[in-house]
Amino acid sequence: MENTRTKTAKSEEALLEELRDILLREDRQSLSEVEAYITNPERFSKRVLPIIEEQLEFFKKHFPDEYRKVVDRQIEARLSTFKDDMIGHLSPVMGKMIRKYVAHQFQILKEKIDNTVKSTFTFNSVKRKVKSTFSGVDERELLLVELDNTVIEEAYVIQRDSGLLLGKASREETLDQDVIAGMLTAIKAFVEDAFKRESEDLEMIQYGTYKIFIQDYHSYYIAIALQGSLSASEKEKIMTLSLNFAERELRTLNKFTEETIKHISSKLHKYFIQKK
Amino acid sequence: MTSKKVILSGSFGVGKTSLFNKFIHNKFSDKYLTTIGVKVNKKVINVDGTELPLLIWDIAGEVSQNKVPNSYFLGASSVIYVFDLTRPQTYKNLQTDLDYLKDLLPGGVIKVVGNKKDLMTPEAIEEVKASLPLPVDIVTSAKTGENVEELFQQLGRDLISV
Ligand SMILES: Nc1nc2c(ncn2[C@@H]2O[C@H](COP(=O)(O)OP(=O)(O)OP(=O)(O)O)[C@@H](O)[C@H]2O)c(=O)[nH]1
Ligand SMILES: [Mg+2]
Repeated sequence: MENTRTKTAKSEEALLEELRDILLREDRQSLSEVEAYITNPERFSKRVLPIIEEQLEFFKKHFPDEYRKVVDRQIEARLSTFKDDMIGHLSPVMGKMIRKYVAHQFQILKEKIDNTVKSTFTFNSVKRKVKSTFSGVDERELLLVELDNTVIEEAYVIQRDSGLLLGKASREETLDQDVIAGMLTAIKAFVEDAFKRESEDLEMIQYGTYKIFIQDYHSYYIAIALQGSLSASEKEKIMTLSLNFAERELRTLNKFTEETIKHISSKLHKYFIQKK
Repeated sequence: MTSKKVILSGSFGVGKTSLFNKFIHNKFSDKYLTTIGVKVNKKVINVDGTELPLLIWDIAGEVSQNKVPNSYFLGASSVIYVFDLTRPQTYKNLQTDLDYLKDLLPGGVIKVVGNKKDLMTPEAIEEVKASLPLPVDIVTSAKTGENVEELFQQLGRDLISV
């Protein structure tokens, strides 16, 4: 009894092995082939080298593209973690304004990096070089002119809650500015309400090339209406101007009367409208 | 005087825009163009010799006031609550709406206005008034202009005395 049972067991095992062999023969074969390749360096490199060479050829051809993609990605990743860190440290202390300012600074930084990565080959920079050699103007001066494509049309200080004007200045006589201030506040309220983004305020309203740039402060906001194109660095210029204005001219004001409105208006004119 | 913010609120189609247009431009139209979002306009009124600039926010009608974005009311000195004398559904929430507005603007001047006076007999108007849980400040017609000027004069006086 015992004996027959082990016998059957043995033959079963053999049968199973046979079955495995039939089913897995091909796999086993290719596996041993691969093994042979890997263990024999000469055969291996013969097989792989063409692939590497092909890749290298491709990479040489597309190197600037590929390289830029990688660098861009890395810069972006690095910047964003650094940015988050920095904001994390700063924001409880200095609040939303700093947060925005820092975020904005990084945007400019990124723009600058993008530009330096690109600039060597861009058509514009070549054009600029050609233009400067022909006209004999320093290249940097031309860059400055390019940055000055904006004209500030109007500047407002508006009470945040009510939308009432606390000061106004404009290049030309416009429609009722009180009404513009009110509508602006209504649009702002509408947008902020519609998107339910309490932490972020509406920063810019744009119609074609006409832009209204908005900066929120505690109880008021400053709105600057511009005509023309606006890069991040120009936006930064205006933001600094508006920050300076708020700090120097508005900080000590806590009551708004007809007199303060007149005072703020004339200061607004000096800062934003008057040609230097 | 510095400007005051005034909100025109109430259900849709009650005549807020019509009152606003009548008051500011002295115009009336039978066409109904529903307001989307907000329209702001300004009128300087003279209250017993004092110039008072009003910035009037004509907002889109809502069936109940708690549907209006809160931020519209911020910093307002006054709310004109308009209902349509001919449509009971526009004043059925009067009590809750007014409680809500008083909560939102403590100390603010709130005016309750029954509009479209021209479509009702004086008796019918008295009946509507009697059925309401709160007194109506004034009944107006944006069509004929009756009591429109008076409404804003009353409002101006209240605003100056606050
Ligand atoms: N007969 C009459 N019709 C009026 C009067 N006031 C407004 N209407 C009409 O009522 C309709 C609605 O008026 P609107 O002023 O647009 O109403 P509204 O309250 O601004 O409506 P929404 O903007 O949708 O909230 C229009 O067809 C007006 O012509 C009034 O005093 N008398
Ligand atoms: Mg309307």
